[in-house]
Amino acid sequence: MSANTPAEAAPGPSSNEPNPRGSETRGSTPAIDGAKLIRERRLNNAKKNWALFRADVPALIGAVVLLFFIVIAVAAPIIAPESMLDVTKQLDAPRYAPPSLDHPLGTDGLGRELWVRILWGARVSILVGVAATVMSMVIGTIMGLAAGHFTGLFGGVIMRIVDFFIVLPSLLLAIVLSSVLERGVLTIVIAIGLTSWASTARIVRSQTLSVESRLYIERARILGAGHRHILFRHLLPAVMPLVLANTTLTVGGAIIAESTLSFLGLGDTSKESWGTILKNSMDVSAATSGYWWYVLTPGVAILLVVLAFTMVGRAFEAIINPALRSR
Amino acid sequence: MTDLSFENVSITYRSSTDRGDVIAVSDVSLDLPAGATLGIAGESGSGKSTLIMSALRLLPKSARLDGRVLLGGKDIKELSFGEIRAVRWAQASIVFQGALHSLNPVREVGKQIIEALEHHAKGTWTTPEKRRERMFGLLDEVDLERAKASAYPHELSGGQKQRIMIAMALACEPDIIIADEPTTALDVIVQKQILSGLADLVADRGISLLMISHDLAVLSAVCANLAIMRHGELVEYGPSDEVCLQPQVEYTKQLAGAFPQIGDPESRLHPRTLKPAEVHRAEPFAMSEEVVLEAKNLSVSFDTRRGRERAVRGVDLKLRRAEILAVVGQSGSGKTTLARSLLGLQEVEPGSQLAFAGSPLPRKAKALRTFRRKVQMILQDPSGSLNPKRSVYEAVVEGLRVQGIRDRQYERVIGALEAAELTPAADYLESIPQELSGGQRQRVVIAGALALEPQLLIADEPVASLDASVRGEILSLFLALKKNLGMSALIITHDLGLAWNIADTVAVMKKGEIVEYGEVDTVLSNPQHEYTQELLAAVPRLGSQSLVRNE
Repeated sequence: MSANTPAEAAPGPSSNEPNPRGSETRGSTPAIDGAKLIRERRLNNAKKNWALFRADVPALIGAVVLLFFIVIAVAAPIIAPESMLDVTKQLDAPRYAPPSLDHPLGTDGLGRELWVRILWGARVSILVGVAATVMSMVIGTIMGLAAGHFTGLFGGVIMRIVDFFIVLPSLLLAIVLSSVLERGVLTIVIAIGLTSWASTARIVRSQTLSVESRLYIERARILGAGHRHILFRHLLPAVMPLVLANTTLTVGGAIIAESTLSFLGLGDTSKESWGTILKNSMDVSAATSGYWWYVLTPGVAILLVVLAFTMVGRAFEAIINPALRSR
Repeated sequence: MTDLSFENVSITYRSSTDRGDVIAVSDVSLDLPAGATLGIAGESGSGKSTLIMSALRLLPKSARLDGRVLLGGKDIKELSFGEIRAVRWAQASIVFQGALHSLNPVREVGKQIIEALEHHAKGTWTTPEKRRERMFGLLDEVDLERAKASAYPHELSGGQKQRIMIAMALACEPDIIIADEPTTALDVIVQKQILSGLADLVADRGISLLMISHDLAVLSAVCANLAIMRHGELVEYGPSDEVCLQPQVEYTKQLAGAFPQIGDPESRLHPRTLKPAEVHRAEPFAMSEEVVLEAKNLSVSFDTRRGRERAVRGVDLKLRRAEILAVVGQSGSGKTTLARSLLGLQEVEPGSQLAFAGSPLPRKAKALRTFRRKVQMILQDPSGSLNPKRSVYEAVVEGLRVQGIRDRQYERVIGALEAAELTPAADYLESIPQELSGGQRQRVVIAGALALEPQLLIADEPVASLDASVRGEILSLFLALKKNLGMSALIITHDLGLAWNIADTVAVMKKGEIVEYGEVDTVLSNPQHEYTQELLAAVPRLGSQSLVRNE
């Protein structure tokens, strides 16, 4: 852009309409210039944020841990064929073998390797965690924006719906939902997603209300903007960083919720998940019988992933809100 | 009694950013003997606030002070922390800028005054009863009712809050009061009350006063001596009459000229600025007879906690092509509500008639959108009016997108920015608001409105938050827009000087009603209504030291 500046700089005192000169000095596709400018600036912003993220050591550790779990979850069929989970093929394997070189994380009561179960369990646990979070974020953002932007009866009704979901004990609702609906991963996703969006909606609403009172929203109205323009051009971009930061923090909660439901036996029993492993370990009283690896392994896996998501989420938060950085 | 003197004071802010160290004050020497009054004038960034903060060692840790600041003969650098605490408030106290934010919003103001007494009690007000008595005494001194002691800050007006701040500053009978822009956010009438209150205190009790402001007239109304600062340096110093009326330095002349003297024919329709906007039409537009906007019997009411309040009552207005109309009044007189209702942003009472170009104002969303292409408004605060995350280009193109104007967007944006005198326009396109100065932001907001090529521009206090030199530039821009494009403008302001500078007609508003309306020359030279006379009398005049001498 700056190469064109000298041509622009020469003032033309004879021009009295707003836009006579641009079309002469500028190239043949001036309309693209504006859009290009915006794209370049966004790219620069993204680069700056990436640099900030890289400077944050805990966030990097978190990202590496996450990447590790995602890779092993995706590559599970290659690393450990599904037959390794088949009980009928483990008849010769030792039961309740403590961790050793032959059995790195020990075996369970049916002779299956725990590391294989963790690998396969990561697929369901992470998938459910992310999918349920996305669902809860989408619902929460839409409801929060609507409740914050529209005043009067409509906004009030939406807020009462949010309140209803907030006061409802979410575990209870999830249990009811997962027992009423058909068993399966999708059901768990829906059960967790439907019960966890309300707090997001509250956060989004309060941010929306604060942005809504800014003068630039009033200016947009003066320029003639309608609801759609204000919602999508000003409010959504303003709440989006908050939603993203909240997302990474919620994923951890969703993974724990999935484990809870599986632990209670409400999950898909035909699929491995970390919660299912925990439930199995309880069924055989692993903790009191001295099979510590049976309880600890899935527990530590959950802990690591949740912690990793939290560390990444905190870094996101700090990038959005520079005031948090020094804390 | 305590003297305050600055001896060769330089203050540097250490900074880790690539800007390096910032020199805020360089080699300033000033004296404030006991009982004297000194005003320091300068624009934002001139280092005047930094200088007075150093008097009480209130500078942040990143600041380094060279030279000596003597308070009662002692170098404040050598005082221990305990001693400096004793000095703060008991010997010298500060009235901070922006009283609106310096008070705790959740405590009664009376208790906040008592708090100052508790922390700095000299042994005089030892018991809670005595402190309470003292607090009421202070309220009497600043001319506030005693009942206000139990009010919370939000229940008080701006002027009342400023008086509470002054009462707090007086609490421990200081020898020196330091006032940082004490009246900036206030309108002329309240400003006069506050200033004369300060002047009285100084005269009655022999307190010395150090006051800073960007407005020479305000300073000269109270202070005997004036110092002018620019870029951290002292450029002129002397008795205020001399500095104001026979300024030696070019910069002082410019500052003095920024606030026009009403009645001075030289500044009529001619805001003083070094960078006047260009008029490039051989025959510039002038006020015509063609009526653009007409309001008849316009009334607006709000539902408040105290019931229904009428903000605008039966206003009649007429705005012609290429006319600049200034609506003048105190804060709370309904000016902004009037402007919003003219744009259709505010529900009006039945019986009100509003017509644009002869046809009544539309009510449906789509028609309103088309209407707003023709009538645009500029809001009070240019910084808040721009989305901090969006570039200048996006801010200016927003109106075009909203209005569905797809062709030649880029040229229109460039054209609008140039019409708003932001040149070379292409250099600014990528900037985000925080990279721009206040005046540049205001130009971007104006360009955003101009991109739609409106016939009428409504501006709400367009220069209230800007520095004196920028003020002249923006005002001359309004005049140029009128002359070049034939645009009409309605400008809302509390500043009568602005009306004198650029307006053709003026409407004086009081409590939602227009009390006087007519040509600027007639109304301001020969005001008929007593409220207009009161407003005019409250405007501080350069170099008169009016408030001190009248008392």
